[in-house]
Amino acid sequence: MLSKDLLLQAGKAIQTQPLRAALIILAMSIGVASVNVLTALGDSARNYVVHEFESLGTHLVIVLPGRTETTGGHPPLFGETPRDLTLDDAAALFRSKQVAAIAPVSIGSAPVSVGGLERETNVMGSTHALLRVRHLTMAQGQFLPEADADKESSVCVIGKTISEELFAHQQAVGQWLRINDRRFRVIGVLAKEGQSIGTGFDELIIVPVASAQALFDSHSLFRILLEAHSEAAMYKAVDEVRDIIKLRHEGEDDVTVITQDSVVNTFDKILTALTFTVAGIAAVSLAVAGVLVMNVMLVSVSQRTAEIGLLKALGATQGQLQRWFLCEAALLSLAGALVGSVIGQFGILVLQWLYPNFPVALPVWARLSALAVALATGLLFGVLPARKAARLDPVAALARR
Amino acid sequence: MNWLDLAKLALSSITSHKQRSLLTALGLIIGIAAVVILTSIGRGIHRFVLAEFTQFGTHLIAVYPGKTTTFGLSGATISTVRPLSAADAASLENLDHVLAAMPMIQGNARIEAGNKQRRANVFGVGAALPLVWQLKVDSGRFLPNDGLDNPRAFAVLGSKMRAELFGNASPLGQRIRIGSDRFRVIGVMQAKGQMLGFDLDDTVFIASGKAMEMFDRQSLMEIDLLYSSETSAESVEQAIKRRLIARHGAEDFTIITQNQMLEKMDSVLSVLTLAVAALGSISLLVGSVGILTIMTIAVSERVSEIGLLRAIGAERGVVFRLFLGEALLLSLAGGAGGVMLGIALVQLAAAFVPALPVQLAWSYIVAAFAISLGIGVAAGVAPAIKAARLNPLEALRAE
Repeated sequence: MLSKDLLLQAGKAIQTQPLRAALIILAMSIGVASVNVLTALGDSARNYVVHEFESLGTHLVIVLPGRTETTGGHPPLFGETPRDLTLDDAAALFRSKQVAAIAPVSIGSAPVSVGGLERETNVMGSTHALLRVRHLTMAQGQFLPEADADKESSVCVIGKTISEELFAHQQAVGQWLRINDRRFRVIGVLAKEGQSIGTGFDELIIVPVASAQALFDSHSLFRILLEAHSEAAMYKAVDEVRDIIKLRHEGEDDVTVITQDSVVNTFDKILTALTFTVAGIAAVSLAVAGVLVMNVMLVSVSQRTAEIGLLKALGATQGQLQRWFLCEAALLSLAGALVGSVIGQFGILVLQWLYPNFPVALPVWARLSALAVALATGLLFGVLPARKAARLDPVAALARR
Repeated sequence: MNWLDLAKLALSSITSHKQRSLLTALGLIIGIAAVVILTSIGRGIHRFVLAEFTQFGTHLIAVYPGKTTTFGLSGATISTVRPLSAADAASLENLDHVLAAMPMIQGNARIEAGNKQRRANVFGVGAALPLVWQLKVDSGRFLPNDGLDNPRAFAVLGSKMRAELFGNASPLGQRIRIGSDRFRVIGVMQAKGQMLGFDLDDTVFIASGKAMEMFDRQSLMEIDLLYSSETSAESVEQAIKRRLIARHGAEDFTIITQNQMLEKMDSVLSVLTLAVAALGSISLLVGSVGILTIMTIAVSERVSEIGLLRAIGAERGVVFRLFLGEALLLSLAGGAGGVMLGIALVQLAAAFVPALPVQLAWSYIVAAFAISLGIGVAAGVAPAIKAARLNPLEALRAE
C-alpha cells in the first residue's frame, strides 16, 4: 500500500466517526495548549530576568567587602567587616590592566527635603564612572562631573520618581535640595528605569562618593563596581582584583568578587528548571490524552473486526494493517497537536494583551517539541491497538458476524 | 428498576469491557494522582517554610532604622543619618508587655583560635538572645547583661564554629581573636541548623557594643523584641511607635511584626499550592474528556441493547439513569484509584526522599475526589440523554 493510500484510508476511517475523533483531538489539544502556554510563561520570565540583569552593564565585576567560607551560601550582600573597602582600595584596582572603569558605591538612607516637602529615600555615593558601568541614561541635565573620587562637591543627580515627587511643577535641574543637613544642587535627572532588579534608580539620589561618606560619617564602601574591557578580561580581572586587595589588606583575602554572568547564570538555571518543571507537569496531561487515544483505537479495532478480517482475507499483510492503524493514531494526535498549538497561541495573545509590559513569547523549539511530543505520544499509545488489529486471525475475524 | 439493580447492571456493563474501563479510569487515575502529589508537595513546602520562620518563636517584633519608602531593601540597613542606638533598645525593653529587646548587628570577620582561622558571620547581640531567638546554650553560658557602655570582651560560639576551631577540645575559657580584637569564649550554642540560607551554627556571638566598635558603626541594624503572649502585636507595635517617636522626634524607623510576615508568607504559599493544583487539574480535564468519549462510544455501540430495554418496557428515565450510573461508577473508580495511587506515591516519596517536604493536603484530596465525581456526572449526561432519546423501534432495527 502506498503511503498516500494509507493516509487516505486512515483519514476516511476517522471521518466515519466525527464526534469520536473530535473528542480525541480536543483532549490532545488541551494538553498541547497548556504545555505551550506554560512553557511560554516560564521562558519569558527567564528572558525577562536575564535581560534585566544584563541591562545592569556588560562585563561587570562586583567587589563586596567580607567573605564567608561556608560552602553553598550566598556572598554577604550586606553586613559589616572589620576592614572595610575604602576609596583607596577602589583607586588601587586601576593597577589591573583588565579594568576599563571603576565606580565605588556607598549607600545609605536619609531624609531629603525641598521647601516643605520631605521624604526618606536611599542616597548613593558614586563617581562619574557609574554612568558607564551601570549603563544609565539621563533624562535631563548631566551626570556627576568627572573629578577625583575623594573630592566632595554639593551636586546631585536624582531619579525620575524623586524628581516628580519633589519638583512636581518645575524644572528640577538647577534647583537646590537638602539631604539631612546639607544642601545639594540638582544637576541632572535620570531617565526612567522602571522596575529594575537591584537598586531602584527611580527613587534614588546620587551624590559624589566623598560627599556621601561625609553625610553618613563613614569611610567604608558598600561595594565597588568594575567594568572589564571584554568578557575574557572579566575573568582575569576577578583574580587580579583579589590579589590587589589582598596585598592592601595585609595578606588577608577578605572580599567577595562576583561576576555579573555568574549571577545571570544562577538565575538562568533556576528559571530554566522551573520552566521544565511546569511544562513537565502539563505534559502529564499529554500522557492522559495518549491513554485516551489507545483506548479509543482499541475500541475501534474491536468494532472493525469484520473489516480487518476481510482485508486480511484479501491479502493485506500484518505490517500493512499495523501501519494503517498507527497512521490513524498519528493523524488524530497530529490534528490534536495542531489545534492545541493554535489554542495555545491564542492564549499567549490574550496574555500579551493583558500584560503588555511583560513580553510573552513562545520559542520555536518549544512549539515544535510540544508537537513532536504529542505525535510521539499518539504513536506510542497507538502501537498496542495496531498490533492487536494486525494479529487478528482472519478466519475468526470474518466468522464473528 | 431500583437503585441496586441499576448499580448491578452498570457494574456488569463496565466489567464486560474490562480493558476499556480500566483505560478510561486510568486517565482519571493519572490526573487525580497528579493533583494529590503536587498539592502534597505544595503543602509540604508551605509547612516547611512556616516552621523555619516560627522556630524563633511567634511573639516577635523587629524594628529597623529608616522609614522604608522604596520597595525592597532600605539603604538604612547599611548607613543612615538617623540611627537606631543601643539606648533605643534599652528604652524599648522598659515598655509594658515587652519581655526583652535585643539589639542586633551582623557582620563578617576573620576568627582566629590558636593557629586555626576562619571567616564567618559575627552577630553583635544582647544578653537576651537565647530568649528572643529561642536558641539554647550547649555548654558554658551566654553573654552577660553588661549594660551599654562597657561590655566585656566575651564570645559565644555556634556549634559548627566550635568544631572547626577547637575540634573536640573544650573552648570554654580559651581566647580567640575576632578581627583585631581578643575575646574570651564563655559558651557554646546548641546546633540550630540552616535558617533560610543563614547558618546560625557557623557564627560567633559577641556583645552588640563590641560589634559596633569593631565594625565602626553608629547604628544598629535591627532591634528584635519579644513580647508577652497576653497582649496583642498591634498594641505593642503602637507602644514602640510612640516611644521611638518621642525619642527621635519623627517616625524614622520601620516596625515589622512577625504576624505580618507570617500572614504574607502564608498567602504567598497558599497561592503556590493552588497554582500546582491548577496545573495538575489540566490532566484531570483531559481525563474527563476520556470518560465523555468512552461513554459516547458505549451509547453508539449498545444501540440495540437500549432498543431491547425500551421494547421490554424500560422508561426513558431508567435508560438515562443506567448510563449516568455507568459514568459515575467509572469516575468513582478512577477517583478512588487516583487518590490511593497518589497517597501511596507521596508516602513512598516521604520514606525515600526525606529532604523533600511533603504533607497530604486533605482539603485538596477531597476536592479532587469530588471533582472526579462531578466529571463523571458531567461526562455522562450528554451520552445518557442521547441513549434515553433513542427511538426503540429504530434502535432495534439498527442491527
